[in-house]
Amino acid sequence: MTDSSIKTSQAANDESLRDQLRALLKDGLETEVEPRAYTHEQVLDIVARLQQLEESNLEEKLKTAGFTLTPYRHEDDEQACETCMYYQLHRKFCELPELMLPAEPQWSCRLWRI
Amino acid sequence: MANLLWLQGGACSGNTMSFLNAEEPSACDLVTDFGINVLWHPSLGMELGDNLQQMLKDCISGSIKLDIFVFEGTVVNAPNGTGEWNRFAGRPMKEWVRELSNVADIVVAIGDCATWGGIPATAPNPSDSEGLQFLKRDHGGFLGKDFKAKIGLPVINIPGCPAHPDWVTQILVAVATGHAGDLAIDEFQRPKTFFQSFTQTGCTRNMHFAYKVSATEFGQRRGCLFYDLGCRGPMTHSPCNRILWNRQSSKTRAGMPCLGCTEPEFPFFDLAPGTVFKTQTVMGVPKDLPAGVDKKGYIKLTAAAKTAAPAWAEEDIFTV
Repeated sequence: MTDSSIKTSQAANDESLRDQLRALLKDGLETEVEPRAYTHEQVLDIVARLQQLEESNLEEKLKTAGFTLTPYRHEDDEQACETCMYYQLHRKFCELPELMLPAEPQWSCRLWRI
Repeated sequence: MANLLWLQGGACSGNTMSFLNAEEPSACDLVTDFGINVLWHPSLGMELGDNLQQMLKDCISGSIKLDIFVFEGTVVNAPNGTGEWNRFAGRPMKEWVRELSNVADIVVAIGDCATWGGIPATAPNPSDSEGLQFLKRDHGGFLGKDFKAKIGLPVINIPGCPAHPDWVTQILVAVATGHAGDLAIDEFQRPKTFFQSFTQTGCTRNMHFAYKVSATEFGQRRGCLFYDLGCRGPMTHSPCNRILWNRQSSKTRAGMPCLGCTEPEFPFFDLAPGTVFKTQTVMGVPKDLPAGVDKKGYIKLTAAAKTAAPAWAEEDIFTV
């Protein structure tokens, strides 16, 4: 397989998975948007919970990470996936090892870090 | 000919090991090409027992001129300020250090332990360790902040855990050949030639730093180690990516975060669990920002750079 065909296939898989995640969130899946992971201990706690999950358990991943379809706002800052350190903008993908999920740039989660 | 004496206090010998690996110049070059006479060194010295003790006494009395006194390791003060936990040649090492520092033309502290206390001085500092002229960031240390060696210079600090071999030998050559006065030093008495730039200077991951692409695992060739893996390269003063280790590489080039070992606070956060190799954040923003950058500026710059990053920045461009 060439690089471009691998990328095309990966993009198709990502898109399909992203659609599933979007559907779950649009259907009203309640996620733990707060408390935000604003301290190191909170980050470690949430990451530890994510590590306990099956890789395929998308619903629990979304819940635990506190995903939303729109950016979370804190004071003047907008915590969108697109500015998060774990986000690959071109692939539209969250690379946090415990998540590894396709996500839209305007989504958000409480593990956001810049 | 410049007489050099090297002693070790509370140390792991790491700086000695590093020194013996020097290449430009090598430890042998110091003797053969630059006229340094090594009076004694823990791994090289020939004198033992009474003979060594007599040599140290002769240095203090002036019957042997002591040009350069090099100290590696902490000054150990425990227990109760006596220094008895680190005895050497019949008395507490700290007593030798005081008297030898007072007679040496130049005093050089090698490695974090001798400069600011390093790992032994980390809280709770059971050995009551300190550096020659600093304890962490506090000026003073064992010799006091007003100490000056005979030629009028304070202790020259060459930090690192360990210090790079060439930082050591190049500074020793400079002082042995009469150029100590030409050394510009910073507020922590580090030679600016090595410690003015940052560890990040010359890092092969700078483009990933610029485009805010993060490495998420050790050894990854793609991505910057600052954002998630606790790399201190942007705020640590060292030439680790200009003067490479073993002429080959550096921590960050190999995918290992910089630990900031040339800074007085090393080891950072007193090695509290979860603080090593993990970027500490407050409300999603790194607690320690690149030198000279404020939080607002960092957020603006990062958001803009991240959204402007080209696709290649997200890929591994170092193919084998």
